[in-house]
Order: sequence, then structure tokens, then C-alpha cells
Amino acid sequence: MNRRQFLPVLPTAFLAACSSSSSPQKIRLALNWKPEPEFGGFYAAPYSSHGLNVEILPGGAGTPTVQMVGAGSAEFGIVEADELIVARSRGNDVVALFAVFQDNPLALMAHASRKAEAIGDLFKGGTLAIQKGLPFARLLEKQYPFDKVKVVPSPGGDLSAFLHDPMFVQQVFLTSEYLTAKRQGADAKVFPISATGFNPYSTVVATSGDYLRKNPGVAKDMVAAFREGWRAYLDNPKSVDERMNQLNPSMSLDGFAATAEAQKPLIENEETKRNGLGSMTRQRWLTLIAQIEGLGDIQRVPSPDDCFQNL
Amino acid sequence: MIARLKSAIPALIPFVVLTVSVELAVRQGWLKSYLVPPPSAVFHALIESRAELFGAFATTSASALLGFLLSTIGGIAIAVFLSSSRAIQRAFYPYAVFFQTVPIIAIAPLLVIWFGYGMRTVVASAFVVSIFPVIANTLTGILSTEPALRDLFRLYGASTWTTLFKLRFPAALPQILTGLRVASGLAVIGAIVGEFIGGQGLGSVVDVARTQQRVDKVFAAVLLASVLGLALFGLINLVSYLTLRRWHASEQ
Repeated sequence: MNRRQFLPVLPTAFLAACSSSSSPQKIRLALNWKPEPEFGGFYAAPYSSHGLNVEILPGGAGTPTVQMVGAGSAEFGIVEADELIVARSRGNDVVALFAVFQDNPLALMAHASRKAEAIGDLFKGGTLAIQKGLPFARLLEKQYPFDKVKVVPSPGGDLSAFLHDPMFVQQVFLTSEYLTAKRQGADAKVFPISATGFNPYSTVVATSGDYLRKNPGVAKDMVAAFREGWRAYLDNPKSVDERMNQLNPSMSLDGFAATAEAQKPLIENEETKRNGLGSMTRQRWLTLIAQIEGLGDIQRVPSPDDCFQNL
Repeated sequence: MIARLKSAIPALIPFVVLTVSVELAVRQGWLKSYLVPPPSAVFHALIESRAELFGAFATTSASALLGFLLSTIGGIAIAVFLSSSRAIQRAFYPYAVFFQTVPIIAIAPLLVIWFGYGMRTVVASAFVVSIFPVIANTLTGILSTEPALRDLFRLYGASTWTTLFKLRFPAALPQILTGLRVASGLAVIGAIVGEFIGGQGLGSVVDVARTQQRVDKVFAAVLLASVLGLALFGLINLVSYLTLRRWHASEQ
């Protein structure tokens, strides 16, 4: 927008600011990454038809959404289920309301030329790029000692080391780096983490316990809007992808379309068809809490009933 | 000795005041412990994970020191080369500025490809971010030799190298040391950023503790990183004192 275009906007912005007392209060939804298909339903959600005024705050690498929600610098934020359990154990009262990914999109990616059959074969040699601090990595290490592999930090979305070294294994999202690697011609094979039995809900909307107690109606409306938004996005991602692409031009429209397609089975399954998109079960939270407790570094073990609510 | 200790008191006061007030604020519930860890928790993390933290401290120290040493030698050599003629300066100085502006976090994945995971990448990162202040300050120092003294050397028929080592270089020492002071802190930052990507050391501890939401451990590691920075800074000050005290106003 150039300056000439900007000037006429000012009086309207001023009027909007003046009339804000009558319009609903602004609600912030903090993302933990840039606008990409994993958030498509949040961009598609019809907030205003529920009387909500929502501002989506895009994030980046390491955006501390769980702390932001706890501290109240965003009313809602996207977190991971395992992250939420650790946060609760450290005294951060955050509650999950809507889980986009029923099956976790994390995976280990290897070159097919290695002829690995099972995830355990990936720890027999070579280099493993992984975020050592994350529960999934620590659980894997307990199951398959890492003493024969060289463990290095995860390069995020960067694939140069992977493409360069046939013995390189990297943590990826099934819905992102894996597709990129295949597009770039790599003969990649993925091993989803969820297959190991560790399957935390991913891309989970959380709010603080305090906010939820004071604004139960808003939280309920938000969840309803998310559900409608995700339904719309799953059925027809195109127009929302175009909008997100404006905000995040570094991902091509083809990339948006490929990811939106690849993530569908992780978001919608038999259970969500019965209970609604984004819904969670007590049993899965219970399992996840037990798995994280087994790692031995949380002092206070949270109750599953404090961790989530299906509104 | 007692006088020395007394001179440390002014620096200790802010530390004590800050530590005590943060501790109080967290205990009173004004600050949340998952946002700002109470100093007692940081201290506890230091003790609890001492083997891991001090091992990491030693690794980071070695890399930072080596990177700093390389940028000292490389920076001074480049500055001497640049000072040899105006034309050379014009041709190459802009490229030296590259080192100052390079976003290390962006090229770090490439450093890994070039140097592999581990210490070499970390040293390279420390070197890249710390060399520019050495070049810039040394060059300014060498170029600002007093003209009268230069004339004197010329009058006695001193060679270029004699002039460089006996006059220009010693006269530039105060500026060189200023460059090294700046570079010492940057080398620590560069090493830790390198470790985020290349693995090992305090950078890796910070990265892991952050994903585990262990703010106390993050701060413990950050504390050790600043101890390293202070130690390097102290080392330069010592060199500065030993070399300048007899002739330069800044150390008298």
C-alpha cells in the first residue's frame, strides 16, 4: 500500500476506533508458525457471524504461544498437546479446546536407498537431525538408544543436509518437508511418529484457565467458529489458500494445495465424524500424560480433566 | 588486594538488587515463574545440572576462544593488507563490511554443509561475526598514525615493514584493543548461534531446555555464557593494561 492509498483509510480507521466500544472486544489467536494450511480452518472461520472480533497473530520459529496464552498476551494460542502437559506441570494454567490434528504429523524422513523397513532401522548408523528436547525424541531415545547415530540439531525446514547425505535422517512434518523433498526429486521415505504409539494431538487451540472461567461463552463461540472454518477449509481450501498466500508468499499456491490435501486424513477420521472436528478424548490425554510422566522430568502430574475441554 | 575488592562493590550492587527483587516478585506472585525464573531456581538448575552445564561451558569456551583468536589474527592481517594502499582499500573494504552485515542465522545451515556438524561450524560462526570490528578498528588505528612521526621514520629511511611494526602498529594498539573488546563479546554470541545449528555446547543446552520449557536452565546457561563473555573481556583488559599503561592515557 503506498502513501496515497493509505491517507483516505485514516478517517475510517479513526471512526472504527471510536466505535469500538459497541463492537465486540478484540480476541487474539496466536499461531506458532506462519500462515500455512495447518491453520487454514482458522483463517476460514466465520468469526463475525458468531459475534466475535478475532485477530490472528502469525508466528515464527519458537513463538512461545503457550507462555503467551498463560501470560494473557493472547487470549487463544496454538500449542501442541505434549507442550501443554509440560506447561501445566510447570504451573502454567492452559486448557486445550480444539485439536486440529488428530494424528500427529511428525515423522522421521530417510532416503529410500537405505532400505529401512521400520523406524528402528534408522538408528543403526548415519546422522539423525532431531529436536532433542522434545518428548517424542526422548521417547524414541528410550526405545532405540541413539549411540550408533550422530545426533545433530534439527535444521527446521531446511533440506540441504538431507539432500546432500544419503545417510541423513531428519525430523519432518508429513505435510510439509516430506512433500518438498519429494518435489525436489529426493527418494524419501517417512516413518510417522504416531506409529510408535506416541501420538499427541497437534495444532491445538488453547486458552488460559482464567480466561475460560471468565468467558465461557466466548470460548464456546470460538470453538463453534473453528469447527465451521475447518469444515469449510477441508471441503474447499482454494480461496483461503489464496488469502494465506498473500500473507505468506514464501509458500507457493501449489505448495498450499499439496499440503492442504496431504493433511486431510490427519484432521478428519472416524472419531471426528462421530464427535465433531477438533474434539478430543479423555483416554488419549490420559495416555499422553502417562507417556510424558514416564520421561521423568515433570514434578506435578496434571489431571486429564484439567488439560482439555470439548465445548 | 583490599582496594581491588572494594572496587568491585559498585558492580555488585545492581546484581544483588536485581536478584533479590526478581526473587521477591516471583515469590509474591507478581511475576510468573514460567515467564521469569526466580534466581533461586536458576541457581538450583546450575547445581543440579552442573556436569552437563560446565561441560557445555568448556566446549563453548574452546570454540569461542578459537573463533576469537582466528578473527584477531585474520582481522589484523586483513587490516594491514587494506592499509597498504588506497586502491586496495577501495577494492576490498566493502567486502569486509559483508562480515558485519551477514545474518549469521541465515547462513548457518550452509556453514553446516561446508564444515560439518560440530566444532568447526561453531568456530566458523564465531569467526564470521567477530572479525569485522577487528578489521575496522585496526584499519582506523593504522591509518591515523601521527604524520610527524611518519615523516621522522621516512627521514631516517625506515622500510615499510619497519614503519609498520615499529610505528604504525604500536600506535594503533589502543584502537586494536577496542576492536578486540567488541569482538570478544560477539565471538561468544557467534559461538552460541553456531551451536544452535551445529550442535553441542551452551547453545545446544539452551535449545533443548527451551523446548522443554525449562526457563531456569535456559537462564543458567545464559548466565554461563555471560561469564564467558566477561572472562574474555577481562583478558583483553589485562592485555590492554600490560601493553598501554606506560604510554597511553586510557590505562593511566
